[in-house]
Amino acid sequence: MLALIDAFPETALPPEAEALRGEIKAFLAERLAGMSGRDRARTWTGFDRAFSRDLAERGWLGLTLPKEYGGGGRDAFARFVLVEELLAAGAPIAAHWIGDRQSGPLLLHYGTEAQRRKYLPAICRGEIVFCIGMSEPNAGSDLASVRTRAVRDGDGWRLNGSKIWTTYAHQSDAMIALVRTAGTPEDRHNGLSQFLIDLALPGITVRPIRLGTGESDFSEVHFDNVALPADALVGVEGNGWAQVNAELAFERSGPERMYSSLVLLDLWASTLDENADAADIELLGRLVARLGSLRAMSIAITGKLAAGESPLTEAALIKDLGTELEQAIPVGIVDAIGKRPDLACNANLMSTLAFLLQLNHVFSLRGGTREILRGMIARGLGLR
Amino acid sequence: MSDMDAMLTVPFRRLLADIAPPAAVRAAEGCRGVPPMWRDLVASGFLDALVPEDKGGAGLALHDVFALVAATGAVCLPVPFAETMTARALLAARGAALPEDAVVVLAPPSAIIPLAAAATHALVPKDDRIALVALGDVGPDPFGAGGGSVAADAPEVLAVPAGSIDLAVFAAGLTAAKMAGAMARLLEMSVRYANERVQFGRPLGKFQAIQQQLAVMAEQVVSAQVAARIGMAGAHFDPVRVAMAKTRTGEAAHQVVAIAHAVHGAIGVTEEYDLQLLTRRLKQWQLAFGSESYWAGRLGAVRRCAPVDTTADFIRLHLAEMVGAASGEAHARA
Ligand SMILES: Cc1cc2nc3c(=O)[nH]c(=O)nc-3n(C[C@H](O)[C@H](O)[C@H](O)COP(=O)(O)OP(=O)(O)OC[C@H]3O[C@@H](n4cnc5c(N)ncnc54)[C@H](O)[C@@H]3O)c2cc1C
Repeated sequence: MLALIDAFPETALPPEAEALRGEIKAFLAERLAGMSGRDRARTWTGFDRAFSRDLAERGWLGLTLPKEYGGGGRDAFARFVLVEELLAAGAPIAAHWIGDRQSGPLLLHYGTEAQRRKYLPAICRGEIVFCIGMSEPNAGSDLASVRTRAVRDGDGWRLNGSKIWTTYAHQSDAMIALVRTAGTPEDRHNGLSQFLIDLALPGITVRPIRLGTGESDFSEVHFDNVALPADALVGVEGNGWAQVNAELAFERSGPERMYSSLVLLDLWASTLDENADAADIELLGRLVARLGSLRAMSIAITGKLAAGESPLTEAALIKDLGTELEQAIPVGIVDAIGKRPDLACNANLMSTLAFLLQLNHVFSLRGGTREILRGMIARGLGLR
Repeated sequence: MSDMDAMLTVPFRRLLADIAPPAAVRAAEGCRGVPPMWRDLVASGFLDALVPEDKGGAGLALHDVFALVAATGAVCLPVPFAETMTARALLAARGAALPEDAVVVLAPPSAIIPLAAAATHALVPKDDRIALVALGDVGPDPFGAGGGSVAADAPEVLAVPAGSIDLAVFAAGLTAAKMAGAMARLLEMSVRYANERVQFGRPLGKFQAIQQQLAVMAEQVVSAQVAARIGMAGAHFDPVRVAMAKTRTGEAAHQVVAIAHAVHGAIGVTEEYDLQLLTRRLKQWQLAFGSESYWAGRLGAVRRCAPVDTTADFIRLHLAEMVGAASGEAHARA
């Protein structure tokens, strides 16, 4: 039997986790009242520090981090419930998203005690915004070929190079970057290390990149002879590849990889009345069926994270399937709406749809492309 | 391994391997009559798995037997085991019982009734009753997999009040589970073949184009399997869960079958190779008891009217996994 077939065991959300839901729903209903569909559709790319701090006040940032570092001391199931509600409501969560999802757990696992004491409480209070420094102009899918380099300089390090496509680097306080500390790109997975970089340091320039839609969600970051203190190193020198992979399991496995178009789906569903076209109802049913199965898979992965596992192949599988659905939702809905040119389309639905139609291509790029993920699944099947 | 697997699934799979090897599946194709392995299934006791304990059964919940039904799909079991098991429980819960050697298919309106050629009886909806009818000629199966149809004038043997039972939900739920089992087996066969077959001096599985196709196949198999499992979650069949199960397995089957054949090349369609046993049945099952569009329409209609804020809520309330749900308790409620 192939192990991957049974890698998503039936898993239910425990009642303690479910118990959180009502309070979160009530808070979001009030706090987000009146928000447009388009703004809601940004979900985890909507940046709002004040909103993140409001969540922090309620104890909802760093939910899985230990209490001694200011966290909630809860398990991954509790975080699933929280995140599911945030995404379903279209809450603007980008300001704390990276720190909460991956930088915090990474520092908890690999950081020194001093790093944990310094950063984890700040993450939990919503005071520090993190970004992910993996991709470079010449290292996209081939992440191991990064050229940004840190060399020892006295007690600390000197950093040179650049990162690109760094989501909200221009709004962030710190970056956790994968850089080379030994060897050359030909050494592949050896000689890589992770650094926590204070983006206010001299020698760092951050230039937002404008998208075709006119917005700027990501940036280019240049490091020109940046002096990093000794304690900027995260984890073990040379262990960067293993660490970044552990980080990617958190980055790829969560419900945000299936819910990015949920706001649109629900907005559209709410316009279907008893006279709705049978084909529209059928489309709704197909999308619900796909999402239903994905949600169960997502909860199964959450169970693995809760048990301390690092389900990389499972995360690749669910991210590929989930982003495919996120892309199918606007594609299906634009056709459903467009096939009736005689009917007026409500403006809120239209602007939400237009936003996602212009953005949905990135769902299968960010966090690792479709082809790369499928390669990982193939390895999981024993084909490589 | 869970207790249920150790007690139930493993011995059942072993039994199937003994009594339903591919040769037995082939022997049953094109025949009208109950194939010989039925005797072994009767003797095994598994047929009463869902019958309440106080009526002499094992009193298991639907959820407990998902793996058994999937296993029958994986081997293309040529007798209606899952259907007869379900019929026994359904009648027992209503104070009736099947005739001793009845081999039963479920026959709600359907383009084809799989395994009708191996059955003696069928359960059919008749107005506000569910009737057991005796089967005569069941006609041809264009898929050559022992399917057929139930004559409108088939003689009635007994009947029970239908209550809220929708036989289509039962039949589609079981069929989705079989499809999940068959698709998992197709994936295994395809991965194994890709690792063995050499072209251009390398196993096929070393070519990225093949790897990417098999990765897609794995995604579809997993997603369909999870949906089918939820289709049999809990103690009894539920129309919303089954709608998801049959929609997802039907959609997945297209891609899964296509990739399995693509990877196998010509050998896959040959009589001597087992792949076609599975893929012909998957086509038949996809058609039977409502295709994915039929069930998606039913699911969409329920979602449209549901008094929920979001689809995430809808899924949580209607389509969630039900772990540890009411084992042993009243499948009878179905
Ligand atoms: C919205 C958005 C946000 C992002 N945020 C961040 C961030 O915060 N931090 C960060 O570090 N990065 C970020 N990224 C970058 C993202 O991780 C990369 O875009 C991604 O890994 C692909 O790299 P690339 O764009 O250089 O494409 P390339 O690697 O050049 O790939 C181009 C195409 O070639 C295919 N390809 C490449 N190699 C192979 C191969 N071996 N076999 C088959 N096909 C192949 C790819 O699948 C893709 O289809 C973000 C990207 C987007 C779009």
